[in-house]
Amino acid sequence: MNDLGRKLAKIAFEERKADYLLAARDESGNVAPAFVSKGEDVGDVRMDVPYQLVMVLTKLYPWIGKGKIAVVARRCDEKALNELTKRGIFDAERIVKVGLACSKEQIAKCRCDDPVPSKVDFGEPQKGAASDELAGKLLKMTGEERLKFWVRQFRKCNKCFGCTTNCPVCFCDHACVLEERELVAEKSIPPGLAFHLVRSFHMADKCIECGECERSCPADIPLLTLRKLVKKDMKELYNYAPGNEKAISPLLTTLEGDKLEDDSNVC
Amino acid sequence: MSVKHVLTTCPYCGCGCNFYLQVVDGRLVGVIPCKTDVIGQGRLCIKGYNAHAFVQHPDRLTHPLVRDGSQMRKASWDEALDRVVSEIKRISSKYGPDSVAVFSSAKFTNEENYLVQKLARVAIGTNNIDHCARLCHASTVAGLVYSFGSGAMTNSIPEFEDADCLLVTGSNTLETHPMIGARMVRAIDRGAKAIVVDPRETPLSRIAHISLHQRPGTDIAWIDGIARIIITENLYDKEFVETRTAKFEELKSAVEEYTPERVEAISGIPKDKLVEVARLYARSKKAMIAYAMGVTQHSNGTEIVRSLANLAMLCGHIGKESSGVNPLRGQNNVQGSCDAGALPNYYPGYQSVAAPEMKAKFEKAWNKQLPEKPGVTLTEAFELAAKGQIKAIISFGENAMVSDPDITHVEKGIRNLEFFAAADIFNTETTKFAHVILPAACYAEKDGTFTCTDRKVRRVRKAVDAPGEAWPDWKIACELGKRFGAPGFDFSSPAQVMDEFASVAPIYAGISFDRLEKEILTWPCTAKDQPGARILHVGGFKMGRGAFAPVKHADPAEMPSAEYPMILSTGRNLFQYHTGTMTRKSPKLEREAPVPYVEMNDADARRMKVAEGDRVRVSSKRGNITLVARVTRNIMPGVLFIPFHYAEAAANMLTNPALDPIAKIPEYKVCAAKVEKA
Repeated sequence: MNDLGRKLAKIAFEERKADYLLAARDESGNVAPAFVSKGEDVGDVRMDVPYQLVMVLTKLYPWIGKGKIAVVARRCDEKALNELTKRGIFDAERIVKVGLACSKEQIAKCRCDDPVPSKVDFGEPQKGAASDELAGKLLKMTGEERLKFWVRQFRKCNKCFGCTTNCPVCFCDHACVLEERELVAEKSIPPGLAFHLVRSFHMADKCIECGECERSCPADIPLLTLRKLVKKDMKELYNYAPGNEKAISPLLTTLEGDKLEDDSNVC
Repeated sequence: MSVKHVLTTCPYCGCGCNFYLQVVDGRLVGVIPCKTDVIGQGRLCIKGYNAHAFVQHPDRLTHPLVRDGSQMRKASWDEALDRVVSEIKRISSKYGPDSVAVFSSAKFTNEENYLVQKLARVAIGTNNIDHCARLCHASTVAGLVYSFGSGAMTNSIPEFEDADCLLVTGSNTLETHPMIGARMVRAIDRGAKAIVVDPRETPLSRIAHISLHQRPGTDIAWIDGIARIIITENLYDKEFVETRTAKFEELKSAVEEYTPERVEAISGIPKDKLVEVARLYARSKKAMIAYAMGVTQHSNGTEIVRSLANLAMLCGHIGKESSGVNPLRGQNNVQGSCDAGALPNYYPGYQSVAAPEMKAKFEKAWNKQLPEKPGVTLTEAFELAAKGQIKAIISFGENAMVSDPDITHVEKGIRNLEFFAAADIFNTETTKFAHVILPAACYAEKDGTFTCTDRKVRRVRKAVDAPGEAWPDWKIACELGKRFGAPGFDFSSPAQVMDEFASVAPIYAGISFDRLEKEILTWPCTAKDQPGARILHVGGFKMGRGAFAPVKHADPAEMPSAEYPMILSTGRNLFQYHTGTMTRKSPKLEREAPVPYVEMNDADARRMKVAEGDRVRVSSKRGNITLVARVTRNIMPGVLFIPFHYAEAAANMLTNPALDPIAKIPEYKVCAAKVEKA
């Protein structure tokens, strides 16, 4: 166990009374996800965590019947946890966060404008990135040019489903919209445009811009930029950004609200 | 509560991606790509993400089974193993040890392949040991050993992304080697020029710079045609040719007849495109050739491989970064199975059975007199069984009744055997003929190593226990060896087996489990203090000079006729794997490609009044199958494509068992066929 491991074990198990801990550590010449029980050796912990640990946790969570689970969480992980607990997929009482502030390099890679977790246990808080360069360029293009760009990108798609499999807030495991044959035909590689567009809209009120889809994409499709463009629309159209622990998606609310004008029925 | 993340190597293709198997209290729950993996870089294909799905399937074989008349019944390991040994001994003493053949498997670890070939040679006394490399890259091994002195991929997977020019032929890379395809896509994004030559449009050809379609069976014509252009236009690397190669004049006169006009007439590739490709390949600084079954699975596959090697040597595109001739090996460990000596003509490490000094070396190492004659190949064994010369087969993990050409004839061979034993993880179309079935552990249930297509030796680690009484194949081989009374089968772990393998095979001499725990090792790795050679033939060919091969176009063994006017080619798709034993039991893979189909050109379909989704009967001289028509512009007119994954409409009912005379690989890529509405 290294110093980081000792510090992490102390925070997770002693201070925050967790029963389990999910982190990243050195193992066999690689950096591995590590899930350890209280009292177990945490190992040589790394804080340049290459994994989206909340995604790793989503796969384990259904099998872990009880106990508190501590997870090393960046700001994006924290937002993913908010989306998961808000929807009842995780029990908030069972999750303990250990906050990790992202490095400058990590922020640049993610073009992230919100990199500091609510409580920082590891790392130094850094300023967020101003903008996504590619998104800026795309917005200056005509719709036609933009479509051409994305068609070229999507043509590289090899239907690995990495963008969904590795997404921390993709939780419709048994009824995935992308497995709906009316939307995504069985025989097509690359899959049609619908594959990417349906996913885009489906994630509009959940995506917390962690960028794991982009990092997981073997074709290097700039999926995080696509996410950021959808986020911009969500903000402008609904004044909503996913990742807040309380705010309910405007797409999920009923059509209650202020009384409509008399002419609202006029077409 | 126990939660483990176990780092291991993917059991599907030869890319060798590493991932973590997530295990909760002995249950496999998921796959997490290893973010720091040198191959996958934290990415996987859909098969990799689903590599856990078949492992704990309820249909796994859990007990040894032995035949009593027409019934199979549960038996103890003692009874099953004793039955195998007593039957093989009986047959061997009656007809001689060469009446027995043993098939190893490209799904096995290196250690298991080493033990299975040792079982055949030391315990049974025959060189009749082979495996499914015979069906995929036998022609590569024979071809490249002639040209370069080594039959393996010359460069490494990561180098694809730094190439300036990629010449890809006979490889549907994005579907069959997705993580190699990903590197190619990255090269294309960077501005590299990719050239894809294939009878079909593939996901890669659709984003390539140049996509050309050759009539199946005309590869030597267009490759020789390119060599001719490179020579006549003085684009070849004269210094390289003079100092590093032999037989240039023979090549020059052999390719003389392949003018661009003649190549166009034979192959259908437009002559100006051929010239463009030749110039592009020759003038690029970093040019890589990649190929797979579209090249190897022909009755002249060995010669096609050599013609590609000619191109690389002509241009000096070998022995340096992002260059070379790169056979993409299909199975997770088909490279390692060959390395470990599961071949009838090679001991471990490609040491020739025919060389008396090698035989003497292994007799000393194994403490047993060894058979002299090189053995028969897998493809010949069923033929010899039908003729009554092979009497018994032990088949480890081979599903010949789906994977081998002309299944009807394979069945005749199997039925004619006096004894047939099969070890497998599931019952297959082949195990149903067995007298003894041995339940085996799969990749997630054992330790060992796989050697991926670029010669990296990668660890396989046990994540969960095997179901019921199933054993890892290395243990099955050891127990059989001991029961035959043979020396040298007393191993308690795969690490010990690797140590012995490394001690007899110089190309693996520096490799051990301890080292693999800390570093990436690539063979040839001849010493404990070096990581091995990422690029082969740097600074020279080990055998002296590279040899040009004067090869000429010849028609495939079976040409279209009035009765069978179409050319049928077989292959794989992205979602299924080989005979489907694993992928068809993985729900997310099966749901992506659940139904057997034949791809045909839309103009052909219109003429035959076949519409998309119609059921059609496809026949050849050898049989017929009924399946769904997929009408597409992505295949040449006159050509049909059927993936061979589906037992219910097995493409290999139709394929031609004609063999390449050198490598004995079947001509899966060309046979004459016809289509009718069913």
